[in-house]
Amino acid sequence: MPLKTVAKAEIKRLEILAPDGTVDKALLPKVSDALLLQIYRLMFSIRRFDERAVMLQRSGRLGTYPMITGEEATQCVPPLCLKPSDWVVPTYRGGGVYFARGMRMRDALLYWAGDDRGTRFPEGNNDMIFSIPVGTHLTQVAGLAWGEKLKKTKGVALTYCGDGTSSKGDLHEALTFAGQFKLPAIYVIENNHWAISVPRERQSASETLAQKAWGYGVAGLQVDGNDPLAVYQATSEAVARARAGGGPTLLECETYRLSHHTTADDATRYRSEKEVESWRKRDPISRMRKFLTAKKLWNDKKEKELEESTTRWIDQEVRAYESFPPPNPLDMFAHNYALAPRALIEQRAELEELLKFKGGARILTELPPAEGRFP
Amino acid sequence: MTTAAPAGTRTLNLVTAVNEALDLAMGADERVLVLGEDVGRNGGVFRATDGLWKKYGGDRVVDTPLAEIGIMGSAIGLAVNGLRPVAEIQFDGFLPSVFDQVVCHLGRIRSRTRGRLSVPLVLRAPHGGLIHAPEHHSESPEAYFCHTPGIKVVIPSTPADAKGLLLAAIEDPDPVVFFEPKRLYRAAVGEVPSGRYTTPIGRARTIRAGTDLTILTWGAMTETCAKAADRLAAEDKASVELIDLRTLSPLDLDAILASVGKTGRCVIAHEAPNTGSWAAELSALIAERGLLRLLAPVERVGGWDVRMPLFRLEPYYVPDADRVVLAARRALNF
Repeated sequence: MPLKTVAKAEIKRLEILAPDGTVDKALLPKVSDALLLQIYRLMFSIRRFDERAVMLQRSGRLGTYPMITGEEATQCVPPLCLKPSDWVVPTYRGGGVYFARGMRMRDALLYWAGDDRGTRFPEGNNDMIFSIPVGTHLTQVAGLAWGEKLKKTKGVALTYCGDGTSSKGDLHEALTFAGQFKLPAIYVIENNHWAISVPRERQSASETLAQKAWGYGVAGLQVDGNDPLAVYQATSEAVARARAGGGPTLLECETYRLSHHTTADDATRYRSEKEVESWRKRDPISRMRKFLTAKKLWNDKKEKELEESTTRWIDQEVRAYESFPPPNPLDMFAHNYALAPRALIEQRAELEELLKFKGGARILTELPPAEGRFP
Repeated sequence: MTTAAPAGTRTLNLVTAVNEALDLAMGADERVLVLGEDVGRNGGVFRATDGLWKKYGGDRVVDTPLAEIGIMGSAIGLAVNGLRPVAEIQFDGFLPSVFDQVVCHLGRIRSRTRGRLSVPLVLRAPHGGLIHAPEHHSESPEAYFCHTPGIKVVIPSTPADAKGLLLAAIEDPDPVVFFEPKRLYRAAVGEVPSGRYTTPIGRARTIRAGTDLTILTWGAMTETCAKAADRLAAEDKASVELIDLRTLSPLDLDAILASVGKTGRCVIAHEAPNTGSWAAELSALIAERGLLRLLAPVERVGGWDVRMPLFRLEPYYVPDADRVVLAARRALNF
């Protein structure tokens, strides 16, 4: 018997706003001028913030920090398609996502300074803490989305992973569940082309990462991840489908990590400046500026004002972060259980005695009160 | 203790000693290959494999896709099929994802096949805290591995031991989990014999001999305990016998029981949470086999029973010399 084709896959790519600022008018999403300006301001501000964070790290005022430079559109835009009550789970490289969700960046700095008090998300948001062992959150996101479905809220869960993480089994299991239970989940693969030193083409023989959706009965689309309008359109459609009971979507947002993996990495060891330069030409921020300028929504004066207000905002966040009192060592015993078991009560008392041994009783009164209730 | 080394030594740090061992093993045996995330062109995030990719090529120093289960499972397959893989998991906090392979297969394939198949591989991973790293980069998961039958668990604390033990691990017919104390990667500097030699797995090393108290420790805690021993000698006139276990499984029971039998007092110091830790196993073994020689209860000094905090509080989590000294005094003054 002749071979029959029993299934066929097709992967589409969405581009709306070109690097030179021109748009495909037929595809232009219906968005207000205010939203367009908000997208630009968010991307601009978080890039300046990133630059300052790197300076802080280089001068010993911050710990290891993961930059998002170049990935602002993929990070800042999808949260704008969601409600605060929708779930969002970024990766550790998620400064732009959290910022777009309204997180105070003083808290982000505190976290990357090695302080557990920095994991504070805006009240009322369903923001989940990211995972550092990459991809381990992906199946949890299926659970978050499942919960929304069972509670009939029409809420959705949106999450991110990198091109590297798309190699992990976690994504396979997450998409299996999302597809099988038709969950209101949106998986964004933030393909920034580099998993530390391993390039996208060494990560998988798959032609696109978007096509991974297809094997699980999940809608898949490749998007120019440096095109804020395409990211907006693709995410909005995915969210609308999820809310309407149409199931999950996998979006491969193709972008580029312009900076090192983190401040602890040196990308010059493994990639060429020529490649980096070619991606600078496809920068999401400059193309949005060209677009807004052509629409007469933006000009040099507004740019200068934004530059100044951003500097003031960053100064204020850095000051607030640096004037935060040091953590109380006893805090590590708080929040481990709803009710601390005996062993922790004893160990906390032992640490308290140790602190007195080290620095006298003074050390405990100079610090902020310890968190948690202990006898 | 060590097999003969050619004459001459060089001063190396611990990570360079690891690199030298890998280089020697790959040079001597074509079956040896290194695989992991960023181990190739980048030379590993700690530079443990620096230069090897250039020297041996991408087929033997393999940048894998970002998939720990893939690394571990394929290393098992490679080992069963006659190669000698040295797999790197980039950080201790990424080890839990390979547990399915470790617990269900790595230590069992030999016994399940009645000895017909074996898994001679090395799983390398950095170990421990206090390098100001992000979350999940400062863990001490040795007890999980020691609890698993069929595998050996090694952790050197000097450059010479790192080289000799890694060469022994690669030669070993059974799987070896090889922890590298990351805060000693550059901090531990010492004389390393040139050329190829092995340091036997399963033997402890006495760092200093003493008569009043035994301190058992491993990894980067050896440095902390050496400071504590200095203070106990100066402030308490106590003679401390400090032992670096080097191999956590199988334990060097002879060395442990001989020392505790001599001193009658024992402190076990490590970085992991105390409950269910490898210190708990050591303490139980000493109680079972040396109870009548003990002059004081065995003291365990470990991390608290909470997760490793972010790095601002790490110094209050990982035991310091103060905590070792206080535990030693409780034992000495019992």
